[in-house]
Amino acid sequence: MPAHDHTHEVLPDDGGDLDPRAAAALLDQTTRRTNRELDLHPPLLMLAAAPVVLIAYGAIWLSVRGQHPYTGPSLGALAVLYGTLIAFGVLLAVVTRRATSGVSGRSSQRRRGEAIAFAVVWTSVYVFQGALHHAGASKAIAYGIHPAAAPLIIVGSAAAAYEAAKENWEWSGYSCAVVALACAGAFTGPETVWAVMGVGLAALLIARAASRIWLHN
Amino acid sequence: MSAQELDPLIHVPARLRIVATLAALPEGDALSFPRLQDMIGLTPGNLITHLRKLEEAGYIDTEKTGNGSASRTSVALTRAGRSAFETYTEALRGLLGDL
Repeated sequence: MPAHDHTHEVLPDDGGDLDPRAAAALLDQTTRRTNRELDLHPPLLMLAAAPVVLIAYGAIWLSVRGQHPYTGPSLGALAVLYGTLIAFGVLLAVVTRRATSGVSGRSSQRRRGEAIAFAVVWTSVYVFQGALHHAGASKAIAYGIHPAAAPLIIVGSAAAAYEAAKENWEWSGYSCAVVALACAGAFTGPETVWAVMGVGLAALLIARAASRIWLHN
Repeated sequence: MSAQELDPLIHVPARLRIVATLAALPEGDALSFPRLQDMIGLTPGNLITHLRKLEEAGYIDTEKTGNGSASRTSVALTRAGRSAFETYTEALRGLLGDL
């Protein structure tokens, strides 16, 4: 029998000799199950996020497509964007609550700190957008390229550095790919950038989910 | 190397699952008793018995907070427990390599 045969039957109660192969199978099975149950970013969540970004960015792209001169997204498109983001936020909260239920200690304190730091970074992106508008930047910049690409460049860079500091190369690499996508997308102009970001981000999310399933199974 | 050299306190299905579950948590984190029970699938009495053995060996720490119905027990692997688990997995790996 191979060392990591998941089908091996092992009784959970005490007593009797435990064969080393059975012990290795039980250890492997328990570790995988625990990691899956405590995972804050399960592949299914990433797969669910793919249509969310496609709908959110797609709605904006449809509303700005063909604008000459560029005036920015319509209120309806913004409502779709925030509606889908709120729906996804609720799903994220449910997943996080389930994964962290009963877990206490240093990591929950660290998560709170992370949430505050990233909220500050994210907010600063939109404060900066206000500054661009105030300084007289064109609508193509203030309501096009900046809101489509800058949040992902700035938040993605912060995430890439943070994950690299933790030696979490998988997540750091993924964050760098998001930053690269946003930088490239910014060159496509204020209309097309929304479509590029929607399709590119959805593709990256699907690829990330697939790689996680492949790496951890 | 033989199976007898594996830590007998960990080399029992129920306790191996308990220790492996707690070892999957980042260092400094604890798991509540109900969540651990839910993940391991043991009866409360059975789980308490195994936890007591591990606590006596200094492998885990249990902490009770609150009183009465609001009381909450959390379980964490100690540094000694984590080290014993690492030694156990290394020994197991060596043993499987020999087989």
